[in-house]
Amino acid sequence: MSELVESETSPLGQPRSGGPVAMRLENVAVSFNGRTAVRDATFDVTKNRVTSLIGPSGSGKTTLLRALNRLHDLTPGAKVSGRILLEGTDIYRGNITVTELRSRVGMVFQRPNPFPTMTIYENAVSGLRFNGIKKKAILDEAAESSLRAAALWDSVSSRLKVTAGQLSGGEQQRLCIARALALDPEVLLMDEPTSALDPIATLHIENLMTTLKSRVTIIIVTHNMQQAARISDDCAFLLMGEDRAGELIEFDATEKIFNNPADSRTLDYTLGRFG
Amino acid sequence: MMNVAGLAPTPDTGHELRAEIRRTSQNARARRVLVSRVMMTLCAVAITLAAVPLVMLIFELLQKGIPVLDTTFFLKEPQSPTLLSPNATGGVSNAIIGTLALSIYASIMAIPVGVLAGIYLAESDSKLASVLRIVSQTMAGAPSILMGLFAFSFIIQDLHIGFSALAGSFALAVLMLPVIAISTEISVRNVPQTLREAGLALGAKPHKISLKVVLPTALSGIVTGVILAISRAIGETAPVMLVIAGGYTDSWKPLDPVSALPLTIFMNAKSEWPSLRAQTWGIALVLVAFVFVLSLTARIWASRKQKVGN
Amino acid sequence: MVLLPDLLPQPEEVAEFSSATSSRSWYHYLLIAVSLLFTLVSVGFVLSILLKSLPTWAHTGTLLTSRVWQPPNGPYGGLAMIVGTLETSIIALAIAGVVGLGTSIAIVFLIPRRLRNIVATFIELLAAVPSIVYGLWGFLVLAPFMLNTVDPWLNSWPFAKEVLGTSGQEFGSSLLLAAIVLSVMILPTFVAISREVIAAVPQDLIEASLSLGATRWQMIKDVVLPTARIGLFGATFLSLARATGETVAVALVAGGVANMQFHLLYPGTSIASWIALEFGEAQGNEISALMALGILLMAISFSLSLVSRWLVNRQRKLLAKV
Repeated sequence: MSELVESETSPLGQPRSGGPVAMRLENVAVSFNGRTAVRDATFDVTKNRVTSLIGPSGSGKTTLLRALNRLHDLTPGAKVSGRILLEGTDIYRGNITVTELRSRVGMVFQRPNPFPTMTIYENAVSGLRFNGIKKKAILDEAAESSLRAAALWDSVSSRLKVTAGQLSGGEQQRLCIARALALDPEVLLMDEPTSALDPIATLHIENLMTTLKSRVTIIIVTHNMQQAARISDDCAFLLMGEDRAGELIEFDATEKIFNNPADSRTLDYTLGRFG
Repeated sequence: MMNVAGLAPTPDTGHELRAEIRRTSQNARARRVLVSRVMMTLCAVAITLAAVPLVMLIFELLQKGIPVLDTTFFLKEPQSPTLLSPNATGGVSNAIIGTLALSIYASIMAIPVGVLAGIYLAESDSKLASVLRIVSQTMAGAPSILMGLFAFSFIIQDLHIGFSALAGSFALAVLMLPVIAISTEISVRNVPQTLREAGLALGAKPHKISLKVVLPTALSGIVTGVILAISRAIGETAPVMLVIAGGYTDSWKPLDPVSALPLTIFMNAKSEWPSLRAQTWGIALVLVAFVFVLSLTARIWASRKQKVGN
Repeated sequence: MVLLPDLLPQPEEVAEFSSATSSRSWYHYLLIAVSLLFTLVSVGFVLSILLKSLPTWAHTGTLLTSRVWQPPNGPYGGLAMIVGTLETSIIALAIAGVVGLGTSIAIVFLIPRRLRNIVATFIELLAAVPSIVYGLWGFLVLAPFMLNTVDPWLNSWPFAKEVLGTSGQEFGSSLLLAAIVLSVMILPTFVAISREVIAAVPQDLIEASLSLGATRWQMIKDVVLPTARIGLFGATFLSLARATGETVAVALVAGGVANMQFHLLYPGTSIASWIALEFGEAQGNEISALMALGILLMAISFSLSLVSRWLVNRQRKLLAKV
């Protein structure tokens, strides 16, 4: 762990919080059939903080996020270059299988997507079952603990055996968070997790993220600048370059990005001048 | 490595739980990956197994069917081979004409009834509609030999019309009816509600909207369904074999006995004459070509509909 | 939220706005008249065959109990045909179901995207190939192959002669051959539907399972197949219906012998193919007996259709919001 904390400046030469690094991105680029979608992403994700990826549509935020748990493996013609390190291990070339990576780096999607054929309980423990955990006692305990962590236990503990489709949209999204948390991941990727939710449900999820970060490092893609400002500690700003490929413009503490950014384009974006 | 602080119920048990989870999943990983590899390989084996007989079938059809096709095949009536001229099979013009006649007469009977019933199914929520929906779905799954029994019982025994193209096309029409009705219902249902509302807003009468707005929009879907129904009818042997008597002469007359391509295959496949057996490959090839052309036409119609829809 | 393949049109989805039926126009009455005609034809279809079969049910009554079929005076026993139908279609479904499911999974998850549409079109075309063509191929190509190669090989196993019967009957025609030809014939039907319903499983469920560390097979087994199960039921029942009702392909390759036969290498027959084979020569009460076999076939087909509709509706209700 120690070799990850040695430098006091991030590879972009900008100061960071100085905490231990959960994930390090070095010149990460993603291309589809030779067309670059995002490039030059270099920054450190610090443990127990919320890191947000912001930028206008087409800037490659989601594409970059999906590279972090190798979801692009599914897409023929997709290529990820550069290095992505999880606890010092290169997730594409290092000694780690894709299933292990994904059990250590969880993901929550834009639309709530609980498994429709499974009950609430089965959804909560689905990740554990995928990973070969069969003991009922462990599953029960993990289900309760993760549902509690997702602030869902009180409302669903009496109806664990009903299908997940009967929950409201916000509850479904919290179930998806619980499902990811049950595996106790080190990093949780969230791809615009509140964009399909109403304001109240959004507020619940935002509060949840703030409490969760003591337990898991969070990387969130968001369209909503206020959300990024409210909940994230660090912030990466991406923008579509001239060849329609997304680029990392600036990475820094959220406070700095929103109050005193180094790049004028960042300021223009956060002030709402475009995007 | 781990962050145990925070929301875990009690730090100690939470820690044990997480350690156990991590240990178990680590131990299970290699086996899970192996099982997955094996199962995906089996799926690859399955697609190969599926492809072999089907590709073989197409290959045999082309290899043995093409040499048989000549002008005699298409234009001459059949004749019986004799010991002196064992290869004098004649052609199958009677069956080609018979198949065309059967499908034309069947279409004349089935298309109007099927399309109108389909429209009714799509636009009504009456008791009759729900009964008819179950009836048509059940009929669509009924074995085709039953249509032959029905035609025999009704047309030949009860109406005393005799073995004829009419009896055969009646059987095929009963076969086509539910297929056309179901596909028409689906196409009419797919017409956007906004189109009808727009018509209503302009003050058009409901039946005018149905005829002038809904039907033209659903038309390509309906045509697709009709073509598929015809292509199914053309290939059917069982419904016609009991009632058309397999006539050996060319005839378009509804009351004459006729033959059909599939029936000729069925009758000649077990012939003691090698020349007649060989000829069946040609008939099968023509039949498959017919059906493929119709299916591809239906697909083109269907994609045309999508373009119009966009 | 839950996207499910819509196999059958659902009555509750009927458009609230009914343009054709909300007015009492000539058009409205035409639609009703035609629908009544359709219903009448369907009722006539059942009644007509049923009435013609009545003498058999009334006089001999041996259709369900006897294995002997003896024109012109009877008895007319249908046991051999019933058993043959069950044997051939269940074996065919077992083969086509397993191979077909694997094929569909391979088409959706293994084959490169560019090839996928071509393969899907090819499969749909094969599903439209008339059954007589499969029968012809089975009789002229597969039967000699079974006779010379497969049957002797099967017979070389210990106890195979006792279980399967001895090879070399009737130019290779046998119940086993019929089951194999049926399985090849229903495979495209099964794959055409199951491929579509598997491909319709939402991508975000697939990604959700993978991002929880599921292997590809776990994703398929625990998420894709359960989500697609309604459509898979549909594919199974449709294929089974096609197999039980198939007439000419079985008539060509099963051998057409009305002996109740559990030895799969011996020739046998099925209900539908027996009707086709016997009808040409049938007179008087044998016609009635064949009509009775038709009623039997109809009962099988209708109950399959009923069971499948019940299962599909039940599944849909289980999955839908209560």
